Amino acid sequence: MSAAVREKSFSLAKSRRTIQWIVVFGTFVLGLRHIMPGEASRGGSFDSFCAFGGIETLLPYLSTGHLLKSTNLLNFSVLIATLGVALVAGRAFCGWLCGLGAIQDFIAEWTREFFGERRHIRGKQSKTILPLRLPAVVDRSLRYAKYLVLVIILFASLYAAFPPLREFCPVRAVFSLKMTSLLWLTLGIFLAGSILVERFWCKYFCPLGATLAIFNKISPVRLVTDTNHCNNCGRCDIECSMGIADVPINLDHPECVRCMECLNTCARDGSLTIQIRNKENVT
Amino acid sequence: MKINPRYYPAIIIATYVIFLLLGILLGFGPERGGEGHENSALIQVAFETLESLK
Repeated sequence: MSAAVREKSFSLAKSRRTIQWIVVFGTFVLGLRHIMPGEASRGGSFDSFCAFGGIETLLPYLSTGHLLKSTNLLNFSVLIATLGVALVAGRAFCGWLCGLGAIQDFIAEWTREFFGERRHIRGKQSKTILPLRLPAVVDRSLRYAKYLVLVIILFASLYAAFPPLREFCPVRAVFSLKMTSLLWLTLGIFLAGSILVERFWCKYFCPLGATLAIFNKISPVRLVTDTNHCNNCGRCDIECSMGIADVPINLDHPECVRCMECLNTCARDGSLTIQIRNKENVT
Repeated sequence: MKINPRYYPAIIIATYVIFLLLGILLGFGPERGGEGHENSALIQVAFETLESLK
């Protein structure tokens, strides 16, 4: 097989989808494992595998030397790994390795199929009524909510015994299989929200996404637009699951989850490339 | 420097694994046998350094 043919046969979208399925399956196995007897001997509770659990328990740990209940030191390792990915590639964790992000991508796809989209054509606006695109003003205002959620949780963590988000955490609601009435409510809101708006939780409420957003501005591995090639056709804008406008000039946008769907969709070779940041390509 | 897109998933996964191992090596590893914990090796060193400075 020639290099050119091999290049064409490779699909970044398929790789991402495969990784997302593996992450979802792995997280379900983790949840299943923790409803079996003997949880304490299994390296900690379900919460201890959560990156955001590390953020929730960080301030109490630094101020008192004690972790919040249901978290353990492993949370810090998972947090370090997530921050490591963010340092290298921005919010790529959200786009590639987050189980909840994957579930939302699947729900958006299934919703479009349910409402009559037989085959998704890249770069073509879907005609289905759901998922919606909220009016720009509402959308922009709601996106600040996740930063507020982050601040509230950090503040509450100083006074809490358990991680403050624990009872409302959609990851637990979807994956942990240990349900409470609050988690059922969370699951209902999460599913309804994800059907209505693509990546609803990521856009508006995810405090981990809020934490990682800043890294899009500093991460060395990034997308770069070649303005000589790009003709602003708008295909990438249509395909962006985070609803970022004018993608080619907003590649370092804090909302970008580095899913690379824009790169997959781009019809003009060389318009978008993945590069390591240097002095020449800093915009 | 341009990166071939086919290496992008590997970069992300490798970075995640390397930093996860780094975290575990620093002492933030899984604990077994309940909720109790000891400070990580890193924190222990930090505490001891602070103590010696006093």
